[in-house]
Amino acid sequence: MSKGISIGSGSAYSTDRLDWAQELADSGLVDHMGFDCLAERTMALAHVRRLDDETTGHDQRIPELMRRFAGFLGRGGKMVGNFGAANPAAAADDVLRGLKLNGVTGVRVGVIHGDDVLDHVLDQDLELPEMGVTAQAIAARVVSANAYIGADPIVELLDEGAQFILGGRIADPSLYVGPIAYEMGWALDDWDKMGTATLVAHLLECGTHATGGNYVDPPYRVLDDIVHLGFPLAHVSEDELIITKLEGTGGAVDIGTMKTQLAYEIHDPAAYLTPDSTADFTQVWVEEIGPDRVRVGGATGRPRPDTLKVLVGVDEGWKVVTEISYGGPGCVERAHLGAEVVAKRLEPFQSGIDEIRYDLHGVSALFEGQLPGGEPAEVRLRIAARCDDRETADAVAFEGQFLWMGPAGGGGVNTQMAPAIGVTPALLPREDVKLITEVIDA
Amino acid sequence: MKLREFAYSRSGDKGDISNLCVFVYDDDNWDVLRRELTVDKVREKFGGLVKGEITRYELPGTKGLNFVMTEALGGGVSRSLRTDPHGKSYQSLILDIDIDADTEIKR
Repeated sequence: MSKGISIGSGSAYSTDRLDWAQELADSGLVDHMGFDCLAERTMALAHVRRLDDETTGHDQRIPELMRRFAGFLGRGGKMVGNFGAANPAAAADDVLRGLKLNGVTGVRVGVIHGDDVLDHVLDQDLELPEMGVTAQAIAARVVSANAYIGADPIVELLDEGAQFILGGRIADPSLYVGPIAYEMGWALDDWDKMGTATLVAHLLECGTHATGGNYVDPPYRVLDDIVHLGFPLAHVSEDELIITKLEGTGGAVDIGTMKTQLAYEIHDPAAYLTPDSTADFTQVWVEEIGPDRVRVGGATGRPRPDTLKVLVGVDEGWKVVTEISYGGPGCVERAHLGAEVVAKRLEPFQSGIDEIRYDLHGVSALFEGQLPGGEPAEVRLRIAARCDDRETADAVAFEGQFLWMGPAGGGGVNTQMAPAIGVTPALLPREDVKLITEVIDA
Repeated sequence: MKLREFAYSRSGDKGDISNLCVFVYDDDNWDVLRRELTVDKVREKFGGLVKGEITRYELPGTKGLNFVMTEALGGGVSRSLRTDPHGKSYQSLILDIDIDADTEIKR
């Protein structure tokens, strides 16, 4: 019988902080760490970087990562991450370089290729339900397509002795399900076990989201210290599942932080769909067994979906955001007037503007008037537009800054402009995604 | 009274779908939560922010509700022009819902 596994969270998104994750790695409490480096849009943006430069499109933190985690790897620690993003081969090169630079030898690196399914999406003219079209209808604008891949290749690579495993769009929970399944000896088609592993994975995959991040709401939800949050870790054995965090760090691991993370970004709790299982969290329970220490359980599972979710990146032209502030008596009326003036001045450019919106920060930007308040002391007019081309976006930016000459007292103009890359989901039969694993001895 | 006085929430995003979980601080208030926090109440609070369906799910093990709202993020996180494309702030809007159960709520 397996002795169990201690696994920590190392990253929850592409710009997550690595210093606190390193503290966990160096603590000696964990022998595995998972790193999620991708949000929905990160992948498409990575493809855009790769189109500009063939040698990029992967996680740019790898040099820092290798410096910080050289000690962990040197002690035999294992790391799994979707550091590859749009370019797993380039990520592997960076990892090998980092190992050498930091004097770590004897590490077997596992690389997972094959999540890039752009050809399939276009050849099969997949439906893009959120956009209401099929892929071919917007083929010229489709820049990327990546399938969410599961724990199978991770288990395979761990079995081959890999100590550092990277891939492209490995699904967030699978980064943890793979190591847990491997170390516990759980079969990937033992659905209740996969549901259990997915529960632990889900509680770890968002990093400090489980330890007090995005949580505090005084005076109801209060924690002593949220300055220096600890990353979460789990101790998994056949008997119990324990979630905790590094002693001495801020935040909390308690019933409240666990429950909000449990339901974070799940839809039907009886059918949480991942590449590894259809997990059922309806009967999950959480029990506090000590300071910042909880026991969880009650997850079950059913067979994994036959399809894999694919995120398709779509070129949406240019996005421009321009803002200006008004204050004092009548500020809301002046901001409305400013918006009206800009709308009129932009009429000649209407055909190139896909969507434009005018929001008043401090009044209705977040809730669109669903939460009415009184007259604020100040307001910030925000004009955001998605335009077909740069010229139209420039016109929006120009009219935004020209509000200097609009209603009285407008100040603090700020404008941002960037290529607009959207991502939209699709489903692909599992058998169409052919994954290839590669082992490199550093 | 406001929902915020006895419950807490977090919002999440997947594409154009927003989910909002709501849990009670005190398990004794779970029945009130289930009875009072209806889809209709959430729909009324969110109005035009949600263009699609709202489905309510229960997590009896942890005494929580999960509201899944489609077409709720201005076209999806990556396409939306909204200030808060993830709908992170939605958790604060749902907690502003009025609940008529002042005498029943255990504090």
